[in-house]
Amino acid sequence: MRRPRRVSPVLLPALLLHALLPLLLGGCSSGQDATPRPATVAAPAPAEAPIPLPNRKGSLKFAVLGDFGTGAKVEYQLAEQMTKLHGRFPLDLVVLVGDNLYGGERPQDFKNKFETPYRPLLDAKVPFYAALGNHDARAQVDYEHFNMQGKLYYSLKAPHQSVRFFMLDSTYPVPEQIEWLEKELKGSNDDWKIAVFHHPLYSSGGRHGSDLQLRQTLEPLFIKYNVSVAFTGHDHFYERIKPQHGIVHFVVGSGGRLAPDDIAKTSDLTAKGFDSDQAFLAAEINGDEMVFNAISRTGAIVDSGRIARRVSPPAKASG
Amino acid sequence: MGAGFLLGLAALAASSAAASDAPAPPPIAAFDARVKEYLALRDKAAADLPKLSKESTPEEVVRHQQALAARIKTARKGARPGDFFNPDLQALVKRTVAEVLSGPDAKSVKASIMDENPGSPRLAVNERYPTSVPLTTMPPQILGTLPRLPKGLEYRFLGPHLILLDIDADLVVDFTAGVIPP
Repeated sequence: MRRPRRVSPVLLPALLLHALLPLLLGGCSSGQDATPRPATVAAPAPAEAPIPLPNRKGSLKFAVLGDFGTGAKVEYQLAEQMTKLHGRFPLDLVVLVGDNLYGGERPQDFKNKFETPYRPLLDAKVPFYAALGNHDARAQVDYEHFNMQGKLYYSLKAPHQSVRFFMLDSTYPVPEQIEWLEKELKGSNDDWKIAVFHHPLYSSGGRHGSDLQLRQTLEPLFIKYNVSVAFTGHDHFYERIKPQHGIVHFVVGSGGRLAPDDIAKTSDLTAKGFDSDQAFLAAEINGDEMVFNAISRTGAIVDSGRIARRVSPPAKASG
Repeated sequence: MGAGFLLGLAALAASSAAASDAPAPPPIAAFDARVKEYLALRDKAAADLPKLSKESTPEEVVRHQQALAARIKTARKGARPGDFFNPDLQALVKRTVAEVLSGPDAKSVKASIMDENPGSPRLAVNERYPTSVPLTTMPPQILGTLPRLPKGLEYRFLGPHLILLDIDADLVVDFTAGVIPP
């Protein structure tokens, strides 16, 4: 028997927000509006306790990691936290937002900067799926542990829940890729469509910041085809962006060398920023809800929250 | 948007790789022909190399790349700058890129190209792409104006120079200097 779902006090504001957002954004509840319902996000106020990952049976459990492949001690320490998490929250997969290997890409670099730190997860058969960043040689597409199947861009059906990841190549967004993406998004019936790529469409980074050209190209597709979440990197910190057109964007470029104090303090994009330690993101999808925790090198939860997926309006009856 | 840009765009978009029945303008037709020749040369160079599986070890990936690069370098011993970007194509590319860079999005397009652009390291045709140098981002608006390339070849900027890069062999196939105006 299904247990009745308890609505936590933290979720209540989210549900209220969820109900009100379409109205606030000029949406219509009649079902005749062609605008998909936006994803909503609820996060605890700074003083509140973090929202724990529910760790439900049958949910999709995954991690997001970016800009990590330095081989430095901090990378190894963050990897240890991922291993620890896996012990109590069995990860189904890890998605990489690029800059998987910095500097040389000799066989020993693959080992020192990737295989050794993440060995416990690899041994536990947790698959990693990579997108490439601007520091990655294109030859990584053939590397066994990145599971790219020789492709610079591809989509990935999650093993649990109705979730599909769209792994994109943002350093070289040729027209063929954009055409492919539109076809894939259009053809996907998955409840959750999640984009994973390197260059953020939204970022408060002083060094890189938002890629406006890429935004011009990708965002209309994300909006049209109901992408709920985008995971990116490039800027060397963790940032959760306030929902943009109903889509929740994360910058998870915090896996290796940090850019402390790079998040613009005056940015009105930031829902939560963290640039004082390395961090990765852990997330769980169950039904229409994603719960996320950003976890630092010391194991602290530095951000958490819930996201409700974007929903298409019901199709109009014909005739 | 300038008429020159539209003409240039139309000309470049007419590249044989694009879906168009119209004959490509001569500079692009010549470029496409050179690209086809290069692919044939590369296929021949790779013919008896062990094939990479889609789950290769780093040793296999690196070994394959180095062997392919060595064979292509030998086969293209006399390669010179301009073999692919002939003067007519250079002029066309510079004109169309300049149009994009003077349009309404000029600032953000240029910012995107120059983001982690490593400047101008020494460039040589038929040599490896500089080790440890990041790849610049190619804005979709620029890629949309350049002749489409087959799988395995890409354009990149290094400083203001436009490079034609073999991504499987990590070799600079050709380059044309000073495409980004100062």
